[in-house]
Amino acid sequence: MSSPESNVQQPPYEPKIIGFLCNWCSYAGADLAGTSRLSYPPNIRIVRVQCSGRVSPELVLKAFHEGADGVIVLGCHIGDCHYIDGNHRTSKRIPMLRQLLAYAGIEPDRLRLEWVSAAEGERFATIVKEFTETVRELGPIKRVMVTG
Amino acid sequence: MLEALRKKIQEIMPQVDGVIALRRVGKGTAPHLFLPGDDLSELALSPQFPLPTPVRIIQAKYPDKRFAVVVRGCDERQLVEMAKRRQIFLDKLVMIGVACTKEQAEYCRCEMPFPKQVDIGETVEGIPQTFLDDFLAKPREERLAFWKHAFAKCIKCYGCRNICPECFCKECVLEDNLWVTSGTVPPPFPMFHLIRAMHTVGKCVACGECERTCPADIPLTILYKLLKRDVETVFHYYAGADPNEPPLMDSTIFLADMDMLHPPRR
Amino acid sequence: MEYRNVPTICTYCGTGCGLLLEVLDGQVVGTYPDYAHPVSEGHLCIKGWNAGAFVHHPDRLTKPLFRKGNDFVEVSWNEALERVAGELKRIRDQYGPDAIGLFGSAKATNEANYLMQKLARAVIGTNNIDHCARLCHAPSVAGLAMTFGSGAMTNSIPELENSRCILVTGSNTTEGHPIIGARIMRAKERGATLIVVDPRDIQLARFADFHLRQRPGTDVAWINGMIHVILREGLENKEFIATRTENFDALWEVVKEYPPERVEQITSIPADQLAAAARAYARAESAAIVYAMGITQHTTGTDNVVSLANLAMVTGQIGRPSAGVNPLRGQNNVQGACDVGALPNVYPGYQSVTDEKVRQKFLEAWGAAPPARAGFTVTEMVDLAGVGAIRALYIMGENPLLSDPNIHHAREALERIEFLVVQDIFLSETAQFAHVVLPAASFAETSGTFTATDRRVQLVRQAIPPIGESREDWQIICEIARRLGTPAGPYGKFDYAGTAEIMDEIAALTPIYGGISHRRLEELGFLQWPCRTPDDPGTPILHTEQFTRGLGRFQPVHYRDPAELTDEEYPFILTTGRVMFHWHTGTMTRRSPKLHKEVPEGYVEINPLDAERLQIGKSERIRLVSRRGAVETKAWITRRVAPGVVFMPFHFAEAAANVLTNAALDPVAKIPEYKVCAVRIEKITEVERPEKLVAARAGAS
Repeated sequence: MSSPESNVQQPPYEPKIIGFLCNWCSYAGADLAGTSRLSYPPNIRIVRVQCSGRVSPELVLKAFHEGADGVIVLGCHIGDCHYIDGNHRTSKRIPMLRQLLAYAGIEPDRLRLEWVSAAEGERFATIVKEFTETVRELGPIKRVMVTG
Repeated sequence: MLEALRKKIQEIMPQVDGVIALRRVGKGTAPHLFLPGDDLSELALSPQFPLPTPVRIIQAKYPDKRFAVVVRGCDERQLVEMAKRRQIFLDKLVMIGVACTKEQAEYCRCEMPFPKQVDIGETVEGIPQTFLDDFLAKPREERLAFWKHAFAKCIKCYGCRNICPECFCKECVLEDNLWVTSGTVPPPFPMFHLIRAMHTVGKCVACGECERTCPADIPLTILYKLLKRDVETVFHYYAGADPNEPPLMDSTIFLADMDMLHPPRR
Repeated sequence: MEYRNVPTICTYCGTGCGLLLEVLDGQVVGTYPDYAHPVSEGHLCIKGWNAGAFVHHPDRLTKPLFRKGNDFVEVSWNEALERVAGELKRIRDQYGPDAIGLFGSAKATNEANYLMQKLARAVIGTNNIDHCARLCHAPSVAGLAMTFGSGAMTNSIPELENSRCILVTGSNTTEGHPIIGARIMRAKERGATLIVVDPRDIQLARFADFHLRQRPGTDVAWINGMIHVILREGLENKEFIATRTENFDALWEVVKEYPPERVEQITSIPADQLAAAARAYARAESAAIVYAMGITQHTTGTDNVVSLANLAMVTGQIGRPSAGVNPLRGQNNVQGACDVGALPNVYPGYQSVTDEKVRQKFLEAWGAAPPARAGFTVTEMVDLAGVGAIRALYIMGENPLLSDPNIHHAREALERIEFLVVQDIFLSETAQFAHVVLPAASFAETSGTFTATDRRVQLVRQAIPPIGESREDWQIICEIARRLGTPAGPYGKFDYAGTAEIMDEIAALTPIYGGISHRRLEELGFLQWPCRTPDDPGTPILHTEQFTRGLGRFQPVHYRDPAELTDEEYPFILTTGRVMFHWHTGTMTRRSPKLHKEVPEGYVEINPLDAERLQIGKSERIRLVSRRGAVETKAWITRRVAPGVVFMPFHFAEAAANVLTNAALDPVAKIPEYKVCAVRIEKITEVERPEKLVAARAGAS
């Protein structure tokens, strides 16, 4: 809220979260959270992918580059992947990308990987709540990356 | 060492259709295919030059011929990784292993300056990678400033990608305007370099040629070697070690516990 | 089955990087860096990495062509050569030798260029030989000759990384000469002070200690301003001035009128910044000036260059390692083409055509020589072709119809010319107007030498034989010369066993190349001229003991406005230049897939404030209009340009910056003012696109 005496104030920082959710498990889980009327912060914009294994490092980096303050990747539990071993790749890729972010001086906790099944609506909501707060504390991505 | 190499090549030549090695050109060296009957007086060993890419190019055109290639440790490991991706054919390749000298090992800060089979030269010890820990000792903001500065010098020559034998994709993501805005120097931070770094994961044998050919003196091997160390310690995957092992991404290795990697947060 | 790598020199810019051409079974398949090369040290820019990419392009000219109407018909070499020789002979006999003009090529070898000027002078009898140096560093040649006695880069590229201060002006070094830009960044990492004086926010400016953004075309003012501060604060090198220079008294007379406050009004460089930068330059242990087109491509190009020379002399920052005045020559062999005399006013080795003693020497050597008056420059030749005074042009490896200023005018001139021969590797925009097209061999298919910007003569090695029926430039010129009748002097023949023999002839007649031979180059890798005798190791640094002319001469000049200033009708300053990924008229780089992909089309840089005011959106197609013509292109909104300034790269024929540029010339060097002209920006509305409107209506109904 800007007061007449001060200059125009920036609106308080609201983290922008991009979530890549796999079609078969985590997206269904997110759906379940919705139909169960479980609340979770509106900061997350969800992108549905067929499999979390499809989420390439350039996709995550591009999300950051375009202004996402946090990126979360949700996939099926190991052993439950619709494509058998798609999430094996996710399990190697995303943690290694977190390592790289850290080495490059970017907070690794801006990127998170979790396994969420179609039945885990509550778990979905909890994770999103937690992650939103983490990213809120980390501050805007603009601090570490020139966006756009 | 050169004389010993010459003898070895003369020994092997009758069994193969050609030997891929370095030839003296001017004051430097260049990859060359020596054919049976060729004069070997121009054979050279230094300055070093990565040979796996010439192997790929020659084998692609002549898949039925047998070749020998002179390999240092990194060359051999690269060839193994390329073989896993069907870029070269190990069954048609004879490797002549050359151990690096102490000077070469220090120049490359190499952990393993020798191939599995050493035919020429004496092996020396690898160099401890303490510079990686020195780098990690910097606080996060300093690391960020370090790379922002380094990448701002980038002139997008693609030298790091061009010289890397593991980079053979006909359509490279780095050239796609969707990921890395084309036509600008420096490329927007940090897209080019972090995408490339991720693409080296599981493939990089830390030969250091990328850093060597970078006109802007960007210390790429710090990043790539840090990732390589993680791959080895957590996934127990050693690039170039075992040709029968599938590539890291293809394998059914998975990270059971996300906390097994401890990204430096500070 | 054959695989080898051939060491040669890159065909693109004047840095002269060594590289290896990768050859598999007679095809160039790639390039590698040359780790042993003293300048490139195993590095290449993206163009060097793609130097062989155009060689096997299907557009390569492989057979001689005659133009019939708008079509080209393939003919035999004999037919083509007979016709060229026949027409040149006829025109010479009917209208005199000066009715013919010849263009050497800054991309071709020294040997080819030497033969081209010998053809002009000894066979045809004219001094009308010039090449694109006219459009780029003619002011350097003229200006540095006036002040130092020699027009070339005074120091060598490797030394730059040890300079304690580098003043870069009019050079987007990381894009125009990337490997030299890398050396400058290395100097910065080693603690040097970097001063960048450039209207645009170029990559190098991010690292600069001082980035002075001057209004385009105001360079004499800021340089005089720096000298003013240096003299006023007693920072000049008194000993150097006393012992090594002359005409110092005239300097203060001029620069006293350029206090930083006045300079700020003219240039918009803040006074305190200018003063601080001047102090840094003067005080540095070794300070180098590095400059390129931003200094030369003005109607005051020569004035700009002499002013830089004044600055270096007044501080004694010359004749020492890691200092000096360093023009970065553009093309791979523009330095060499100048050295071997492809210029209308000098013979090989910068020996004046008007000097009767020099003329005698060449008359005796060749057996014939033209009259002792200077010939016409490329810009003049095109104009004269337009009025019929020049009836034939023989153009080798140049594309004036895209690189000349005011190309509509150039096009009209070439449409009218009686006989045009173009020798090239692709059917360029200029070749499309030729009566005869001769297919030439590329740098990968010929041998000879290139001379890099730091006077470094290096061997070019043939990697593969000429493509199709193309022939090496030097061979084509010899064929034409022989058909015209070669003179009888001891060096009059045009019959050589190979290019090494041509270099021997060059060495015999050109004192600064006196000790250069292919054999020595094979042994040593390179030789930097002056290299006067067979045991002379070459000269890395010029003017060490004394200047080439003896004493350095101060040549103070006053600031003059650019030829075309902005006004209400044309309120924007248009400046033009290069981008990293393309080279000049794009004939080679736009046929190299990876280079083309980076920048597939032209654009114009426009400042966000201007874009907002004019309501121009991201990547919107807009029209730029100048008094010469109009161009439609894509807008790139960026802070790289200041408000009121727009920038266009000149590589793109369909968005040709030179439709807009001003052909106003520097009076001494005759270089056009590519860097400043006035334009207005128009939005393209649907109403102007009737075909689109009709199509839209048809679709709707």
